[in-house]
Amino acid sequence: MENQKFYYDHKIVKQFIMATVFWGIVAIIVGLLIALQLAFPVFNFDLEYTTFGRLRPLHTNAVIFAFIGNAIFAGVYYSMQKLLKTRMYSDKLSAINFWGWQLIIVLAAITLILGITTSKEYAELEWPIDILIAIVWIVYGWNMIGTILVRRVQHIYAAIWWYLATFLGIAMLHVVNSFALPVSLFKSYSVYAGAQDAVVQWWYGHNAVAFFLTTPFLGLMYYYLPKAVNRPIYSYKLSIIHFWSLIFLYMWAGPHHLLYQALPEWAQALGTTFSIMLIAPSWGGMINGFLTLRGAWDKVRDSAALKFFVVALTAYGMATFEGPMMSLKNVNAITHFTDWTIGHVHIAGMGWNAGLTFGMLYWLVPIIFNTKIYSKKLANIHFWIATLGILIYAIPLYWAAVTQWLMWREYTPEGFLAYPNFLETLSQIIPLYVARIVGGAMFVTGFIIMMYNMVKTVKSGTFSNNVPAEAPALVPMGDRNPARETVHRWLERKGVRFSIIAFFVLAIGGAVEIIPMIFVKSNIPAIDTVTPYTPLELEGRDIYISEGCYVCHSQMIRPFRWETDRYGEYSKIGEFIYDHPYQWGSRRIGPDLARAGVVTGPMYKSAAWHYNHFMDPQKMNAQSTMPKYHWFATKEINLERTPAKIRTLQKLGVPYPDGFDQLAVADLRKQGAEVAENLKASGIEVSPVSQMTAMIAYLHKLGRDITQVPGAETAAPAELAPVTLSTAQADLDAGRANYEKICAVCHGMTGAGIPPAFPSLIDGEWIHGGSPEEVVRSISNGYPEKGMVAYKNQLPASQIEQLASYILNVLNNEADK
Amino acid sequence: MTIENNQDTMHGNHPENGHGHAMDEHNYDGIEELDNPPPGWIMFIFYLTIGISILYGAYYFWIGIGPDQHQEYERAVLKAQAQYESGQPGVQMVLLSDEVSLAEGKTIYADMNCAACHGAEGEGNAIGPNLTDDYWIHGCSFEEVFNIIKNGEPLKGMTAFKTQLSDERIAKVTSYVMLTMKEYNPANPKDPQGEKCE
Repeated sequence: MENQKFYYDHKIVKQFIMATVFWGIVAIIVGLLIALQLAFPVFNFDLEYTTFGRLRPLHTNAVIFAFIGNAIFAGVYYSMQKLLKTRMYSDKLSAINFWGWQLIIVLAAITLILGITTSKEYAELEWPIDILIAIVWIVYGWNMIGTILVRRVQHIYAAIWWYLATFLGIAMLHVVNSFALPVSLFKSYSVYAGAQDAVVQWWYGHNAVAFFLTTPFLGLMYYYLPKAVNRPIYSYKLSIIHFWSLIFLYMWAGPHHLLYQALPEWAQALGTTFSIMLIAPSWGGMINGFLTLRGAWDKVRDSAALKFFVVALTAYGMATFEGPMMSLKNVNAITHFTDWTIGHVHIAGMGWNAGLTFGMLYWLVPIIFNTKIYSKKLANIHFWIATLGILIYAIPLYWAAVTQWLMWREYTPEGFLAYPNFLETLSQIIPLYVARIVGGAMFVTGFIIMMYNMVKTVKSGTFSNNVPAEAPALVPMGDRNPARETVHRWLERKGVRFSIIAFFVLAIGGAVEIIPMIFVKSNIPAIDTVTPYTPLELEGRDIYISEGCYVCHSQMIRPFRWETDRYGEYSKIGEFIYDHPYQWGSRRIGPDLARAGVVTGPMYKSAAWHYNHFMDPQKMNAQSTMPKYHWFATKEINLERTPAKIRTLQKLGVPYPDGFDQLAVADLRKQGAEVAENLKASGIEVSPVSQMTAMIAYLHKLGRDITQVPGAETAAPAELAPVTLSTAQADLDAGRANYEKICAVCHGMTGAGIPPAFPSLIDGEWIHGGSPEEVVRSISNGYPEKGMVAYKNQLPASQIEQLASYILNVLNNEADK
Repeated sequence: MTIENNQDTMHGNHPENGHGHAMDEHNYDGIEELDNPPPGWIMFIFYLTIGISILYGAYYFWIGIGPDQHQEYERAVLKAQAQYESGQPGVQMVLLSDEVSLAEGKTIYADMNCAACHGAEGEGNAIGPNLTDDYWIHGCSFEEVFNIIKNGEPLKGMTAFKTQLSDERIAKVTSYVMLTMKEYNPANPKDPQGEKCE
């Protein structure tokens, strides 16, 4: 048969390789910086743009989408052409893919530093960038499927199955998780709330790991490992089994990120069991890789590329065993919210993803530049320094995780937490954070050595954008012959049908978990006392999101005694129904804040405390590693956006009254004035519409709604025990003493209050009734949702009656005069 | 030039790779595939994990023997109540003047970060009052100081430490504040608040 002549496009491969190396060094240097920040807060540079809360998402996004993303494209664009014996389908689509992706990265870097974020981990980018990602991703898929259709090879090789699964999986995950209603160009609210948002987010988060960090790299492994070692793939059957089982099972495992949290038990159980079932399919790739190396280990000794492949497969095998173990509830109790997860992801990221990328580059760059690697010695130095760096990075974090977990749950013989101050448990692991900086610095050093080696290699070689090749045209094979072709083999020459089947296999897991969470009401048991955020609290919440507070502070108390003793009542599903997006967090570098607004709880801090703490956390405690946020005191809330925020949330089903958007700014100013007034009592002056008042209002909202005493509202006056007011001077004096100590803060010394927030007690109008019985009830049970504290646990009944007597018999008489 | 030159270099059997044979028409850019079955042990692990998952579901849902997380929590709380039911030993409401107690009180003052609001030497700051002067807002007797540490005054900013410190430890930090700290002469004392005690 006549051979057809064509040209491979090497220019696009070169472009993606250069982008990989460039963004790679940026991403890991930012990683090194945030590692420094955790040990030495001075590296936050006292600037809002460089706090840990903003740079940590920059690091994760840069590593995943910029460094690893470009590496995927480089590897795919080279190997697809070779495996299908054709140029890419369209040079134009290739170019849009390349420049579009770089544009996304630049926009991501700028917006994250500016605090423009959705706060959904690894999906932080706001909606305009999300749309751009979807477009560029579809261009990539279009180009890929087009290339498959114009191929000159009968069957599609295993590597390309993985590339297809990557394209389909990420497209589905990205679109579903990014659904949000825009408020403005740079602000949107997730359409999902609370537990629903959490399920969608971790379906995405876990499968971003699967379909951006695992499947494409398995595809690259299936091409570059056998090419580099010049050996056949050990088992075609294993390729098939582990491919289909992995892409099916992975999509179910997301809820293992939410174990012991406010999620229905059935969803948690799916997360656990599907993770366990993932061990063998994940290991399938490692085994096929290692067995492909069988008989060729002598080559590994000589080649840095192969050594990196071996480390990559080893790290992959470790991480994919460790992951299912971390999905067991009892193990997860240790690993979640500690540094274990951080160690785990860096074994996978630095070992598997970066390792495979380095191996690929050491093999591929000399080939496309028609030369040999400049220095094998430097490549080997890179290998050893990077591998040791990974260990020195990860081991201290595992150690830190176990140490901190043990301290969190340690009790004294009397039954008290042994380390009730969270900071003690953090200070203990700071030396380990220093050790991890050393590991990270070694990894960066190795990377720089590689860059030097690559530049020298490129200079010594010659490069052509278009490389000629020839192959016979593809002759369609027609229908399947059952005698000589298996169904799978037939499918391997039907690219579109293969993709459609893969799509459905991928879609099942997410559908089974997400659809019931959204449409079956019993999954979200309601709590009547939970109210929407006031405009000021909402603005505070948006600042909390923007600053990335969630990267260090969880808002999720698990049902462990050692958590409820430290923070308060454990978190319930119904608390989060107005949380667009949810803010549960995934790591506690600082304490949980879910009960920061429970006045009687251990986490409550006064407004003045918060002010001083935001201004300078190290002044409050020298060992604190929190960045300073002193600009909260001077920066004001953008009130122009507030009504639009309220309207957007109304559309998402948050029950603000009709027309509330027009009252929102006035409501915000009023509440801001109350907070500012409160601060003034401590001699602190801030604008009522500053970010400071909003943050304090938001923190004081957290957990407040569920502390209402059950039945306080429903008790009818008839059922109240009769109360006789006292006129005895001793009782009135005792009442006065308590009143001035406790009540006067809000209701004033004369009882005039600060209406409407703190009602007057002497104007003859009573919100909850003015009979002696009703006043005693109000003091005893409180109305925590409105700010009135329940005093029955703090004052004996006799003192509450004295208080009522003082209020009704003295204050009201004085007022009448 | 062409780089299809390694097309045939790998063809044939590969005895070094077990008993596998290269499969016909499985050649992609020179990469061949062998007809080896998956190793038995990995298939065993696969079936085992599927079995474990079914048992897991049965244990927690279909048969329903396993506790859910709320039941687990209730059991843990009941167990702790039984363990500590004797309660804490009562403490006598008297100042502890021995050096060991005062030193421990000083450690507790540091560990619980009292300095954040009351200053390292008890001088007070924008949040909390001066502890070194003779003025007390909530009373100056041992019982009253003990009580304000234990039960707090959250709305005014004083945290209740009863869930974090045992009575014994509260007595020690109270003694430290009332005896040792009293003697300090901090540099920037906050103005007195509350009533003077003799």
